[in-house]
Amino acid sequence: MKATVAEGIEIGTQLPSLTVRFTRERLVRYAGASTDFNPIHYSEHFAKQAGLPGVIAHGMLTMGTALRVITNWVGDPSRVTAYSARFTRPVVVPDDADGVEVEFSASISAVEGSLVTISIDAISDGQKVLGAARAEVDLGVRVPHRDHES
Amino acid sequence: MAITEAHAGRRYPSNQPYRVSAAKIAEFATALGDDNPRYRDEPPIAPPTFAAVISAPGWNHIFNDPELELSLERIVHGDQRFTFHRPIRAGDVVIATVTIDKVRVRAGSDLVSATVDMSGPDGEQICSAHATFYHARKALV
Repeated sequence: MKATVAEGIEIGTQLPSLTVRFTRERLVRYAGASTDFNPIHYSEHFAKQAGLPGVIAHGMLTMGTALRVITNWVGDPSRVTAYSARFTRPVVVPDDADGVEVEFSASISAVEGSLVTISIDAISDGQKVLGAARAEVDLGVRVPHRDHES
Repeated sequence: MAITEAHAGRRYPSNQPYRVSAAKIAEFATALGDDNPRYRDEPPIAPPTFAAVISAPGWNHIFNDPELELSLERIVHGDQRFTFHRPIRAGDVVIATVTIDKVRVRAGSDLVSATVDMSGPDGEQICSAHATFYHARKALV
């Protein structure tokens, strides 16, 4: 299975994308699960007081959800060896049934031996909400070299 | 006294060791909407960003240090970087130690970068979390 995956890999390979909806319920769940109870993630009052347009998603909720694109693809999450992102724009979550949609897409940006670097895009309301998001994954098998990669 | 560039290198003692439970892993995976079976194995591993849960008390050491005069409501998370040496598993006892790496004091805000190192009781490295925070000196309102 992993050898099959490795054979289909080269720079530019797209991973299956993921679209999720962040609702207030999701924020409350994440607050409890992560123990991050900053009120800007559930209270309009405190969000406004902090100068925000409204209640915003935890940056780590966006970052953690974005990584699903990679762990869904690789299967075994323990293959992720590094993960980084900048929080460039807050994701405002309205107080309604639909919440806000966030689209995650990812593609291979570097290959070295069995290590692949994957860049992730996270878009909400037409804007990038994560900057320079990338993960490093050790596939455990060498990726066949292709001349046009470099 | 407020935070200064001389606070780089300051290290805080570890909190109580964090005991990773299968229930907390399942709760965290559900909150991410993630049904990966490895998070429900017996024993499960944790989603990689569960490291943020274990490192949170470490950041609080810095935010609550009276000498630094930081206000939590004026802190914004700028970026986050994780390095994983091995997955976090249910049953792990994790010791988190936080170090201030760098402070940049600017006109209206401070930029603080710090690292939480997470290891087992035997010193085995598990993962590290590096973050940059912006601290506004005046209230944002």
